[in-house]
Amino acid sequence: MKRTLTALALSTALSVGALPALAESANPLSDERVRQAIAYAIDMETIVDTLFEGKAIVADSMIPNGFWKADGLNTYAYDPDKARALLEEANWDEDYVLDVVFYYGDQLTVDLMTVLQSQLADVGMQMTYRKLEGDVVTQLTAVPETGSDTSAVDWDIAYGAKAALVMQEYYNVYMDGHSTYTPTDDQRNELIRRINGTADIDEQRAAFVDFQKLENDALSDIPLYYQQLYIFESDRVDRMGGLYGNAQFNYDWGILDWEIEPDENGKRILYTNKGPIQFFFHPWLNPGLRIGNKVLWDRLLSADGSLVPNGPQLAESWEVSSDGLTVSFDLQDNATWHDGTPVTAEDVSWSIHTALKVPALNGVLSNTFSSIEGAEDYKAGNADSIAGITADGDKLTLQFAVLDPNVLVSFGQFAPMPKHLLGDVNPLEFQQHAYWQNPVGNGPFRIEEVKMNDFARFVPYENYYGGTAKIDEIVAFPSEDNDPNVVKNAAAGRLDYGFTKSVADVQALEAMEHMRVIAADIPYTRSLRMNAYPKQPD
Amino acid sequence: MLTYTLRRIMILIPMLLVISFLVYLGLELTPGDAVEYMIPPDVANTLSREALDELREALGLNKSFLERYWIWLTNVLQGNFGHSTSGGVPISQIFLDRLPATIELSILALFFSTVIGCTLGTISALRRGSASDSLLTVAGMLGVSIPEFFFGLVAILTFALNLAWLPVGGRLLPGYETLWDRLPNLILPALVLSLMMTAGVMRYSRAAMLDALSREYIRTARAKGLPEWRVNFVHGFRTALTPVIVLIGFRLPTLIGGSVIIEQVFQWPGVGNEFVTAVRSQDYPLVMMIALFSVLAMLLASLIIDILTALIDPRVRLE
Repeated sequence: MKRTLTALALSTALSVGALPALAESANPLSDERVRQAIAYAIDMETIVDTLFEGKAIVADSMIPNGFWKADGLNTYAYDPDKARALLEEANWDEDYVLDVVFYYGDQLTVDLMTVLQSQLADVGMQMTYRKLEGDVVTQLTAVPETGSDTSAVDWDIAYGAKAALVMQEYYNVYMDGHSTYTPTDDQRNELIRRINGTADIDEQRAAFVDFQKLENDALSDIPLYYQQLYIFESDRVDRMGGLYGNAQFNYDWGILDWEIEPDENGKRILYTNKGPIQFFFHPWLNPGLRIGNKVLWDRLLSADGSLVPNGPQLAESWEVSSDGLTVSFDLQDNATWHDGTPVTAEDVSWSIHTALKVPALNGVLSNTFSSIEGAEDYKAGNADSIAGITADGDKLTLQFAVLDPNVLVSFGQFAPMPKHLLGDVNPLEFQQHAYWQNPVGNGPFRIEEVKMNDFARFVPYENYYGGTAKIDEIVAFPSEDNDPNVVKNAAAGRLDYGFTKSVADVQALEAMEHMRVIAADIPYTRSLRMNAYPKQPD
Repeated sequence: MLTYTLRRIMILIPMLLVISFLVYLGLELTPGDAVEYMIPPDVANTLSREALDELREALGLNKSFLERYWIWLTNVLQGNFGHSTSGGVPISQIFLDRLPATIELSILALFFSTVIGCTLGTISALRRGSASDSLLTVAGMLGVSIPEFFFGLVAILTFALNLAWLPVGGRLLPGYETLWDRLPNLILPALVLSLMMTAGVMRYSRAAMLDALSREYIRTARAKGLPEWRVNFVHGFRTALTPVIVLIGFRLPTLIGGSVIIEQVFQWPGVGNEFVTAVRSQDYPLVMMIALFSVLAMLLASLIIDILTALIDPRVRLE
């Protein structure tokens, strides 16, 4: 296997000095001391212990704990006296009422808002809270018009989550011209260039450490807690050493080796949820959220539990040039679609072309594909194809116009689709194609039977290039991402595997003798977005 | 009667038009759209505004309310019910897939509730003031006042989880081929749904029977020396049936619209369950068609009730 993970040295040295004072404005949140006071006023330790019953981890950075985390960050441990002192220093107007918004519909969020309201009141800050209705995305993410520094959103603080596939997603939202709530400055822009300008892991980490230190003081977002993902399994399942990881995406979970206790008929059937309700969701927006996404299609590369590419999958080898601008893949000779047609580089090329025109494309994949030479021309309709893609038999070569630090992560998540079955699709109506009623994949399992809204049966694909799975069948019952039937189905023995973020479900599952729950760290940070732009006059 | 029936059917057309507009308007006033369901805010954070606008355009959501309504209406009038916004599945196919499940469940529940409700209501009326009357009255009140989701959850806990006699929910499991195979899955939701409906039928038939038995023609019948069973069932029960038929008739639309709550609790893949999903995902074409079919069923049920009432009670004349 040829494998060259190349270190690139494109970053420029930057000395991180003191953050220049943000411009004074009508918005009191533009004062860093006010944002820091809010951080000190919130007792997250108690909130996690009580409200979340320990099912969360207090956050001190947007970046989750682990390799990318900076050491020695200020944790803003609960200190109401310090909060009051900072507010006094900043001449906080006690009559000002903070407008806090959120978009979740659960009771826990309302409870959290009530607690925050009480804790802020304790240091002399008033707040109201409301759930955003209607076009939530616009209300949440509108950016100031070009040339203006007046906020395009009407809230002071927005409570929400950032679910990142790659670490850059946490900070790219502060990019000049893209930032909803953080006025940009040269120092932040330079850091954004640094985290995106290299594929060298060490250089990237150094840039992330500097960014975290900057944000630790600036608090564009006040990080509240890291949400964990809870993977549950019945005692019938034996992963045979298979890894636990970020189950919302694709990683090498060892499904081929899984064993499951046979039923009374001697069949080894794994029951799970997140099966299709009306159609199979395409995997280009949420690459691994549903069971079909995980087992029907393979990616060019496999990834570890933290989604870092770690080996071959559809591509038996790959190579990255020393400047990081040319990436080539050699596909497996014997990989076939479930209808027997060979998987070719042309399938991958067609999939990238199509994906670029599918509106609901995952942001990380979109960044990678848009960075290919000629991609922008193709998207704009000025070219019939992407100049930087060459497909020849099993060999695919991508020439990038700009370096994308996450190119390998993208190909660890992107599932190529069969051109011979989807070639006629209108990319704007990708999800509406008949293919999604009974998709033909290339992964370790194929569809044996689908009864929409009743169940879907997946059986091992006998010609899978990686070998044949040991379990006889996967039966998936229909559910959306948030399955309201997890507890009763698990209690009835109809769930052998799944994952959830619901605290209530986790507690109920933990109480069942035949179920085990494993907490997995995922990059999913809940924070308060602090709108520091001057607000529009009432 | 033929003229009356035809006139009523003609009236249905403007009524359906008005109702369709009101339902569409209601959906329009509901916050959010299909794109927000497809791409939740946590994910939408990472997408560009242009991408989301493109998706809205592709789904036709960027057009004005009246324009969209007009397109939908003209398509429906041409027999094109459209496709589900989120998955592109033809609405007719979704209906064909879901309707058997709903009809299966509703017919069984309607049958049981009618037979049991009428029988118990009549017994209760004939034994007015007795212990059994009091017991049935209390049971009826409980049945009417306890929410059906609660009954459903208690039934699941008891019969599916604790006793493990019946499945926890769902309609089809791998290997099911005949009605006999899926009967165990049908029993619990059908029983819970019929229990809820039985209580209402029982209360209605008791009151109607008591009313009928207090009439002078009953006294006359007894004076004529007719046997008591004939007085009660031929003279009393037949008259008492009229209000009961009205109640049962107005439940006929559940054959189409499904029982939303029961289908949700028992993971029953019927029209009601689909309706909830469609409303949540702002799937306009699907919501419209389910709503319209339910309305149509309600209007037709009303017509059938009028005709049946006239047939049962000669004093009623249709004009």
